[in-house]
Amino acid sequence: MEQYEAWKVLMREGNATFFQEFYVKFYQAFLEGDRWIQYFKGVGTTLIVTAAALAIGIVLGVLVAIIRTAHDQQRPGKRNPVLGLVNGVCQVYVTVIRGTPMMVQLLIMGFVIFSSSRNYTMVGALTLGINSGAYVAEIIRGGLMSLDPGQAEAGRSLGLSYVDTMRFIVIPQAFKAILPSLGNEFIVLLKDTSLINVIGGKELVYAAQAIYGRTYEQMYPLIGVACIYLLLVIIFSWLLGKLERRLRQSDRR
Amino acid sequence: MIDVKNLCKSFGDNLVLKDLTQHIYPGEKVVIIGPSGSGKSTFLRSLNLLEEPTSGTITFDGVDITDPKTDIDVIRRKMGMVFQHFNLFPNMTIRKNITLAPVRTGLMSQEEADETAMQLLRRVGLAEKADAYPSQLSGGQKQRIAIVRALAMNPKVMLFDEPTSALDPEMVGEVLSVMKELAADGMTMVVVTHEMGFAREVASRVLFMDEGRILEEGTPAEIFGNPRNPRLQDFLSKVL
Repeated sequence: MEQYEAWKVLMREGNATFFQEFYVKFYQAFLEGDRWIQYFKGVGTTLIVTAAALAIGIVLGVLVAIIRTAHDQQRPGKRNPVLGLVNGVCQVYVTVIRGTPMMVQLLIMGFVIFSSSRNYTMVGALTLGINSGAYVAEIIRGGLMSLDPGQAEAGRSLGLSYVDTMRFIVIPQAFKAILPSLGNEFIVLLKDTSLINVIGGKELVYAAQAIYGRTYEQMYPLIGVACIYLLLVIIFSWLLGKLERRLRQSDRR
Repeated sequence: MIDVKNLCKSFGDNLVLKDLTQHIYPGEKVVIIGPSGSGKSTFLRSLNLLEEPTSGTITFDGVDITDPKTDIDVIRRKMGMVFQHFNLFPNMTIRKNITLAPVRTGLMSQEEADETAMQLLRRVGLAEKADAYPSQLSGGQKQRIAIVRALAMNPKVMLFDEPTSALDPEMVGEVLSVMKELAADGMTMVVVTHEMGFAREVASRVLFMDEGRILEEGTPAEIFGNPRNPRLQDFLSKVL
């Protein structure tokens, strides 16, 4: 603390060594006035937004994927009109979400649709979730379609219902197949939470901006934030790798 | 037991089955032979509605299974099916492969199903594989498991769709011998195959199909000893 004050004076006079300058700027960026708490809260918000968006995305994605797959797998000549309509809605949803930039979606949700809401973080999470759902839906649909149709036929030929066949045979195998792409989508999602500060969400980047707005020193907070994201993604990838190895058990020869 | 009337099936403009009428009696071993693309697999798969007929009716034990109101899952529990590519579930152990359907459909408790599975596995000589995964087995072993899986449902009829076509030649014998045993036990069987030796030995009736029609049928002695249809004569001269 005293060292910081002393070196800060040195730096202002232009007499500080490289190490002393580094220490002062680092101190300003992370320690002065307990600023690390701001980062800490930012990480908390980032994780909450990611988790909420993930939940929304998975629910929406699974729903849309099942509707679209069920629609495509109907017996010819026995098409259900209600399913056709819902399928149309799902297609519009996927097209619109995938066809517009994430940033524009956030701005529209924040400043047009929910312009009176003050809960920016949750508006951000909702937007991210809706966005992620469209991609997750396509990933899951791809997984369900890539599975050998003989698997479902074998299940049905044993007298299992469509739902049981999906539940015990198709979905577990499809899940294993799509896990890498799903993990990829979640990593993108985690990093995209950094965008919600444009509508006022108080996540990690918001914390960095607030700090360099006061210290006029951008490098340390931004590199610090980059390191935190990197660390989060590395931890997440590691967990994902563990899950993949566990699911691969049945492949051992 | 299975009554097929005026069965037609088309994929788009391609007419695959042309007005088939057949009756399969209890205890019969019907073997269907014919060139590729003759519609034999489609015919077999129509019997448990894996292929939806375009027109015509199929009646199983007095129930019209082509009627949309029929619960096809209940019918399929009484019809075992064995596929060319085995279609074992790679995400489950052998035991689970066999017991899943009997337990989920409420036919047996888990204990009963486990016991049935072990009994059947012993019968085909694969009891020690109960806790293995399908990827650890050879093709012949997989197909024997697939037969056991179908048998675990206590079906009244077994449908075989080219059960030995995807196997290495040296593994064909072990699968055929299981099928022969099954036939000797009195199971009603419908078999699509290219194994003429099996057809000759086991079949009570042979159907020869070509271009979506049954061109000739009869006992193995008639079909192989005295073929009348020129297409059948031509076919046999190439495969025998």
